[in-house]
Amino acid sequence: MPEREAGQGAPNTQSNGIEVEGLVRQFKNGPKAVDGISLTVEPGEIYGFLGPNGAGKSTTVHMLTTLLPPTAGSARVAGLDVANQGAEVRKLIGAALQEAALDPNLTGREHMKLQTALHGLPREERVRRGDELIERVGLSSAADRRVGGYSGGMKRRLDLALALVHRPRVLFLDEPTTGLDPQSRASLWEEVTRLSTQDGVTVFLTTQYLEEADQLANRVGIIDAGKIAAEGTPSALKAEIGRPSVEVLPVDPERRGEAEQILLRFGTAVPAARDALSVRLNEGINELAAIVRSFDSAGIELASLGLNEPTLDDVFLAKTGRHLEGAGEADSAEMRLPEVEAAGSS
Amino acid sequence: MIPDRKYFSAGWAVAWRYLHNLYTKPAVFVPGLIFPLFFLAAFAGGLSAVGDTPKFDYYDFTAFQFCFILIQASALAGVFVGFSIAGDFEQGMGRRMMLATSRRSSILLGYAIGAALRLIVVWVIITGVSLLAGMEVRGSGYDLVGMYSLGLLANVVALLFSAGIAFRFRSLQAGPLMQMPVFIALFLAPVYVPQELLTGWIEPVAKVNPVTALLNGARSLMAGDPTGILLAYGIAFGMIALLALWALRGLRRAEVAG
Ligand SMILES: Nc1ncnc2c1ncn2[C@@H]1O[C@H](COP(=O)(O)OP(=O)(O)OP(=O)(O)O)[C@@H](O)[C@H]1O
Ligand SMILES: [Mg+2]
Repeated sequence: MPEREAGQGAPNTQSNGIEVEGLVRQFKNGPKAVDGISLTVEPGEIYGFLGPNGAGKSTTVHMLTTLLPPTAGSARVAGLDVANQGAEVRKLIGAALQEAALDPNLTGREHMKLQTALHGLPREERVRRGDELIERVGLSSAADRRVGGYSGGMKRRLDLALALVHRPRVLFLDEPTTGLDPQSRASLWEEVTRLSTQDGVTVFLTTQYLEEADQLANRVGIIDAGKIAAEGTPSALKAEIGRPSVEVLPVDPERRGEAEQILLRFGTAVPAARDALSVRLNEGINELAAIVRSFDSAGIELASLGLNEPTLDDVFLAKTGRHLEGAGEADSAEMRLPEVEAAGSS
Repeated sequence: MIPDRKYFSAGWAVAWRYLHNLYTKPAVFVPGLIFPLFFLAAFAGGLSAVGDTPKFDYYDFTAFQFCFILIQASALAGVFVGFSIAGDFEQGMGRRMMLATSRRSSILLGYAIGAALRLIVVWVIITGVSLLAGMEVRGSGYDLVGMYSLGLLANVVALLFSAGIAFRFRSLQAGPLMQMPVFIALFLAPVYVPQELLTGWIEPVAKVNPVTALLNGARSLMAGDPTGILLAYGIAFGMIALLALWALRGLRRAEVAG
């Protein structure tokens, strides 16, 4: 095996990017959880892997972190093949998985002791590195308490700190902010940004949150049902969708139908908030004045009128025909534009 | 593939956590002791009359039983490691170890080191209790080292066997699968009387049971009259070789299971 490793590691060993080519994972008697994805993550970049429940995000992360062998295709992490050079890959990567694997009987500091030793850090460095990271994620005051008593956010932060003990070049974070309060989320975003910009760590981050992908990631891959639906920078993806949408809320619910007739002259229906109506404009922002005039002349009073620039949700909608929020595997079929249909029939 | 410093460092880390959890959770440590102590109490009490039967030719009934308890406690300590491995994989720590170790057989090594260190404590307790109960020791220092070594080998055999199951099932539900075969093998050996006195169906079974060789070896060492030692060690090392393969293959199965 060693001679094989040397040969395959030769090209591109200096890079700390990720190259994925036609990656497939078929579970025994199960779904094709990942169905031929290809993507490239540049060194030092934050890559947001966005998708609904069951899309295949975690399965992809497991393959890239050598926890699960791919059924087909190939992936190189930091220039090394995940299938054949797993031991080498593991030295260069850190990962905080979706379910933070922590031992409730150990304290935060004891976890650090365990993790630094598992990675084989020199004995004299272990305590220093552990304390440094505990401080960095703001757990100093809780470091000697058992993890069983930590809050969800504290566990996440500890898990992140543990993933960093050996100064990985590539970091995998599987839904790191799910279940965190806004404040914890913001501080985690800050930390991830710092890792990428200051330390040059490549970050592969999965999320179900649009804003997270939008604000944090340099580039986004949208995954749905095991396939990449779209890929690019958040702004490029949104620009591809192009036209903004207009959302109105009539004061009188009785006149919804009328309002819809008017609105549909200017664009095609897209899902809207409760009781509101929304269309993606055919021509763009110039039509706004005409819309206002039409409602005015029809005598329909509006409680609100808003112009929405495209979001990543619109991108997801355009590529998959449904919304990201709540588009999990269980309920995907009936999630196709329910609000608009309801509005039409009322 | 020569193990390096990092390999042993990872092994020690696994062992450290295993022992730390035993020490902080007595509920995990105590069951491994209860069985042997229960047997010791039962034998030293009511059953000691067996030792008075004319055909019983071993010099001391408590010493005779101690050897069984030594092998039993050592083997059970190995099985309990299997429980810990299964629990760790069920609860996610297995993944942490799989991710953080570059060469994953160090994980198995770590559990084995932990088991051996735990075993020393178990030995001290059962030996102390037996001596208090009046056990007479005839073997020399060398004999006793040989005897305890057989205990250690029994421990490694049981550990590798149950680790193989734990890695394959990665769930505590596989507990009986680890425990039952070891229990059965232990009791299909000459537990209460010497092998020559066994009658009926158990006699041929005990004859081919590898535990019998270990037990006879340990008893002869205890008596200071080593016999069948080569056989006992040969069988133990043979099983260790086979079961190491079984356990390492199990580890590979765990690796590809995600
Ligand atoms: N071990 C497994 N055996 C069989 N099927 C599996 C296994 N793990 C995942 N799956 C299936 O593969 C698909 C993708 O799952 P995965 O966990 O990768 O999704 P995800 O995008 O991470 O979802 P979530 O946002 O809920 O974490 C799902 O249909 C899931 O049921
Ligand atoms: Mg997931």
